[in-house]
Amino acid sequence: MIDCDVHCAPATLEALEPYLSDYWREYTTTAGIRLLGMASAYPPNAPTTGGPAPGSYEALREQVLEPFDPRLVILNCLTLCEAHRNPHYQAALASALNNWLLEEFLARDERLRASLVVSTVDTDDAVKEVERLGGDPRFVQVLMPIRADTPFGNRRFHRLFAAAAERGMAVGLHAWGRAGHSPTTTGYTLSYVEDYLANQVIAQTHVLSLVSEGVFDAIPELRVALVECGFAWLPSLLWRFDKDWKGVWREVPWVKERPSSYVRRHFRATTAPTHLPLGNDGATRELIETVGTEILMHASDFPHRHGPSAAASYELLGEEAREAVLDSNAAEFYAFEPAAVR
Amino acid sequence: MSVTQTTPQTGAPTPRQVSLVDCDIHPTLTMPELQKRISERWRRHLDRFGRRTPMITEFYPRTANAGFRLDSWPEGPGGFPGSDLGLLQTQLLDEFDIDYGILNSLGLLNCHEMPELAAEMARALNDWMVEWMDEEPRLLGAMVVPYEYPELAVKEIERCAGDPRWVQLIFPDSAEDPLGSRKYWPIYEAATGHGLPIAVHTAGYWPHLDTGWPSYYLEEHVANSMRMQSQLTNFICEGTFTQFPDMRLVLTEAGVAWVVPLTWALDSAWEQLKEDSPPIDRRPSEIVREHVWFTTQPIEEPDTPEEFAQMISQAGLEDRLLFATDYPHWDFDSPTQALPRSIGDELRQKILAGNAAELYGLPLAPPE
Repeated sequence: MIDCDVHCAPATLEALEPYLSDYWREYTTTAGIRLLGMASAYPPNAPTTGGPAPGSYEALREQVLEPFDPRLVILNCLTLCEAHRNPHYQAALASALNNWLLEEFLARDERLRASLVVSTVDTDDAVKEVERLGGDPRFVQVLMPIRADTPFGNRRFHRLFAAAAERGMAVGLHAWGRAGHSPTTTGYTLSYVEDYLANQVIAQTHVLSLVSEGVFDAIPELRVALVECGFAWLPSLLWRFDKDWKGVWREVPWVKERPSSYVRRHFRATTAPTHLPLGNDGATRELIETVGTEILMHASDFPHRHGPSAAASYELLGEEAREAVLDSNAAEFYAFEPAAVR
Repeated sequence: MSVTQTTPQTGAPTPRQVSLVDCDIHPTLTMPELQKRISERWRRHLDRFGRRTPMITEFYPRTANAGFRLDSWPEGPGGFPGSDLGLLQTQLLDEFDIDYGILNSLGLLNCHEMPELAAEMARALNDWMVEWMDEEPRLLGAMVVPYEYPELAVKEIERCAGDPRWVQLIFPDSAEDPLGSRKYWPIYEAATGHGLPIAVHTAGYWPHLDTGWPSYYLEEHVANSMRMQSQLTNFICEGTFTQFPDMRLVLTEAGVAWVVPLTWALDSAWEQLKEDSPPIDRRPSEIVREHVWFTTQPIEEPDTPEEFAQMISQAGLEDRLLFATDYPHWDFDSPTQALPRSIGDELRQKILAGNAAELYGLPLAPPE
């Protein structure tokens, strides 16, 4: 079993001190900058939050590796989302987080992989970080939290994607991201439910953008994982996307195939959250069949909790499909060694 | 609509049944025609300073014929698609033998203007639609209101609501506040009090952004369905339907199929996060089935047509789909071709006419 989304985060900035320069150590101390664990995305006591993300290897081993026994785990650290927009600080903190991931986690257990944290405000800095560490096969993808300034198909990101693809890295679009914009295009929300579900709509924006801007013809090797963004919305989105493309293709002549072809070839989605109708096995089966199990990759999204829907839907899969979702789809997507034959 | 339902009289010939209702027709009141219908004070203002609200077409130009059916441009100077009643009758109502068609004017759906100007424009647009409805009995109207100013909007509702040809009120899908917001509740209260459904139509001025501007019209156009997902979620989470148990919402020109995964996600999230949204008093999917209707155009088109029918039946939305052509826009859906062939005859007939007749209380026989 491969777990494609497990969270970890330094509990405090002090944990990153060994990885920050004197300037930034002094700056963050004097400015009183603290980490809040992305408190608006994961309110500490919300039923979906499940507790703080593990801040050390020991905590991870005890809470994830020992109880669930995955053969590989991809660590996602979202701490950079709560850093302010100063591009110098972004770059420094991204490097510090990656060094922290390397030293405190990746170096200590062969089962661990991680998404590379990169500046979300400056593409050149992001490319530099990919050049610095992207050659390390333990960094399997570039982490791009979806609440951003611009949809990711925008040409400003193409050189980042090219740098990732050159090194065999995927790109991981992860729920949440930078605070500031309203979570929906219709305005700020009063409820957490809306904020939480908005991730699934924002993810759709990036899917449209990546395809419409011709990223996959420019960089045919690029692979994109939708992480913690849901997937039940994919079929209805693609039905409409294909139809509209047939109508207005002349606006985007570089999109040479139907949008759904690009999505099925280049995208995968993790299974947390799943959000299928509990107790309606027929509808769940039909939806999974329409989505296609070949694009789903298992994730626990530890420590977050999205209800019993993912586990219930696994029960409905045939043995082969279940194995694919739990392991081999991710192994193939991230080019991991296949699981040993039992 | 309070028109008395036609009941077959004993011995009288059975009247022909309503068989086709178009729930989304776009008439256009051109600027010179609008100018003729508003006061000198605001005519001068518009003339000198123009509108403040950007049209979405200013930043996402349509890719051909300005986004209209090529044959919908009237001959002669100054004409605009949807501005010529005769052409609309010929190309749409007569061509497809449409029994009733609802005028959804988009002319005030990007209206963040001075309050008195917005109210004046709403009045002018409504009066002009009445002129058309007087001339063509097959046409019904969606009332426009200055929605950013609920007090003025309620006044306009009270001015118009006595005329049964107004069958709904129309809102854009993006405004200053999310549409479930309490700011707009006085409008819903007044409309619901008069038995008028609220149509939310793809349009507006995009004052908010989640993750920034996309580059192309293709993205903007697909995103119409995504904006409607956010609005429907908002109506539910703000408790708008709990506040107005008789409120009926018609989501227009945003497609349909997305509502199925959305209600699954809402149910699932609500199960876990009930405490966060006190106004939600039962499963969101039940609220949707009770309060929400959908116009079909642009209907989603899966490669496997059965998948569309599957989605509709999974969500129990057979009674909630309303056929729409979107005349005179480029992506017009033909009444004879647009619906997926996986839909059986009985459901097809409900979508083409029965559901709309029931929602709007239309007479069972077409107008003379």
